[in-house]
Amino acid sequence: MIKEIKEPVIEVHNLTVVYDRKPAIWNIDFTLPKGQIIGVMGPNGSGKSTLLKAIMGVVNANTGWVKVAGEDIEGVRKRVSYVPQRQSVDWDFPATVWDVVAMGRFALKGVFKKLNADDRSVIEESLKKVNMYTFANRQISQLSGGQQQRAFLARALAQEADIYLMDEPFAGVDASTEEAIVQLLKQMKKEGKTLLVVHHDLHTAQNYFEWLVLLNTRLVASGPLTEVFDTALLEDTYGGTLTTLTKVAELLDKNDMPMRHK
Amino acid sequence: MSSDFWIILTACLVAALNALLGSFLVLRRMAMIGDAISHAVLPGIVIAYFLSQSRATLPMLVGAAATGLLVTALIEFLNRKVKLQSDASIGISFTFLFAVGVIMISYFGTNIDLDQECVLYGEIAYVPMYNIAVGGMDLGPRQVWIVGSVLLFSIVSVIWGYNRLAVTTFDPEFAASVGINVVFWQFFLMGGVSLSTVVSFESVGAVLVIALLVGPAATAYLITNRLTPMIVMAIIAGVMASVIGYYLAKYLNASIAGAISVVIGIQFAITIVIVSIRRRYNRLKYEPSQNAPV
Ligand SMILES: Nc1ncnc2c1ncn2[C@@H]1O[C@H](COP(=O)(O)OP(=O)(O)OP(=O)(O)O)[C@@H](O)[C@H]1O
Ligand SMILES: [Mg+2]
Repeated sequence: MIKEIKEPVIEVHNLTVVYDRKPAIWNIDFTLPKGQIIGVMGPNGSGKSTLLKAIMGVVNANTGWVKVAGEDIEGVRKRVSYVPQRQSVDWDFPATVWDVVAMGRFALKGVFKKLNADDRSVIEESLKKVNMYTFANRQISQLSGGQQQRAFLARALAQEADIYLMDEPFAGVDASTEEAIVQLLKQMKKEGKTLLVVHHDLHTAQNYFEWLVLLNTRLVASGPLTEVFDTALLEDTYGGTLTTLTKVAELLDKNDMPMRHK
Repeated sequence: MSSDFWIILTACLVAALNALLGSFLVLRRMAMIGDAISHAVLPGIVIAYFLSQSRATLPMLVGAAATGLLVTALIEFLNRKVKLQSDASIGISFTFLFAVGVIMISYFGTNIDLDQECVLYGEIAYVPMYNIAVGGMDLGPRQVWIVGSVLLFSIVSVIWGYNRLAVTTFDPEFAASVGINVVFWQFFLMGGVSLSTVVSFESVGAVLVIALLVGPAATAYLITNRLTPMIVMAIIAGVMASVIGYYLAKYLNASIAGAISVVIGIQFAITIVIVSIRRRYNRLKYEPSQNAPV
């Protein structure tokens, strides 16, 4: 099930990325709608992170191309924010939360430019939005996993972008932090932002996303959640392992019941 | 001015230079690349010597910096494209280039009066023997001027590129995502390390260069929690070790470079002890005391 749309905010065509002769993503082709919260799901090693990095041009594609807001990524970088997987950096780096968030502002400026009062107030606002203002002066090595994640989100907010690509923002955060982040994402959506979010939990996916991309090296599906969240497609994505199959079965049982709403 | 003064000044300048750049290397987990570069620049120095037929400083520096970048490129290539582990990439690259340099020296043989001993073990005690004079005025040792200018140049460069160096060190993927050329900044840093390594080991020898690149930065890393204080602290630690090391060497009548290296090691050890005592003390403070209700 691959649903194409007109005037997509992100368009990926024939995208293949190969590391070491083994493809991480293979011939991916999809279009994504503007102003939605879009989930990217698939098992470990299915190429979710690689897809995000290829969209940002952080890894080079072997074939294919990507257009963001109708342009090559180089032309629109300032409008796109990328939040890497939290485990991809060394949190023992000597920096405070403030320093990390400030990187989001420096990113928009040339070499050797200082932060001005506006930048500082954006950083402050970003920290407040993720409830980390009181931690501004704390060293990042002294943060919990959930706080690290929120510091990363604050850095992304400080970029004031229109399109956000987030790699597993819910990994290792507790239920209340997850809820707070979801509220933040919904708020951002209201402001017209597009959010592409890598996610692992099938149970919550139905409540978070309006559009879903299912990935397993190849693209399994891309479309509105209601059409994509379906046994055959999920089985196709997660393969035939016992645990995931049970999971899918459980979910379908749940699907017959009214969805949880808050 | 006394030769004591000039030797201490040279040591301090070298220490500051290496502590500054070493801070970034330590954070990038590339501390041993200093070792690699200090050996790998040998063929560059030989070729520069051969082409310019002199021991003039500028050609040597250019040759060294160029080979420094070459070895960096080689290491990057082996690591990223050939997918060799980074320690293996470093090991292969620098031993190869160093060996090429050694063969060049023995092949050109007596035509070259490059002192291998001096290249590897540089003797800081001889620094005051090579003074420069302009219009009959003694301006002090050549080394002070060379290291001093490279230090000044490095400070200016690091200040200029500070935010880029910081973000590419902490989160290279994010840096790339905002359009920063991560590879450029890697070579920017490595170019600086090549230059500083070669001017440093001419006066203090390869071993002390490594000690100065790694030791003060590692010590500062333990006791600071932001990048700028870490760099400043590393420079202070390096300068302190140089002064203390010099007088220790004088007292023991031992090698100056050796004594400074030892002081750097002791400094690091003392810092570890202090940090772990402080940690234990903090833990005791917050743990329930024995009188607390069970
Ligand atoms: N830098 C790399 N070099 C070589 N292979 C890589 C590299 N990065 C990823 N891979 C491989 O590419 C495939 C896809 O990896 P990727 O990180 O994109 O998966 P993912 O879906 O994000 O997984 P996870 O859920 O574990 O985060 C995996 O098989 C992985 O081993
Ligand atoms: Mg991933």
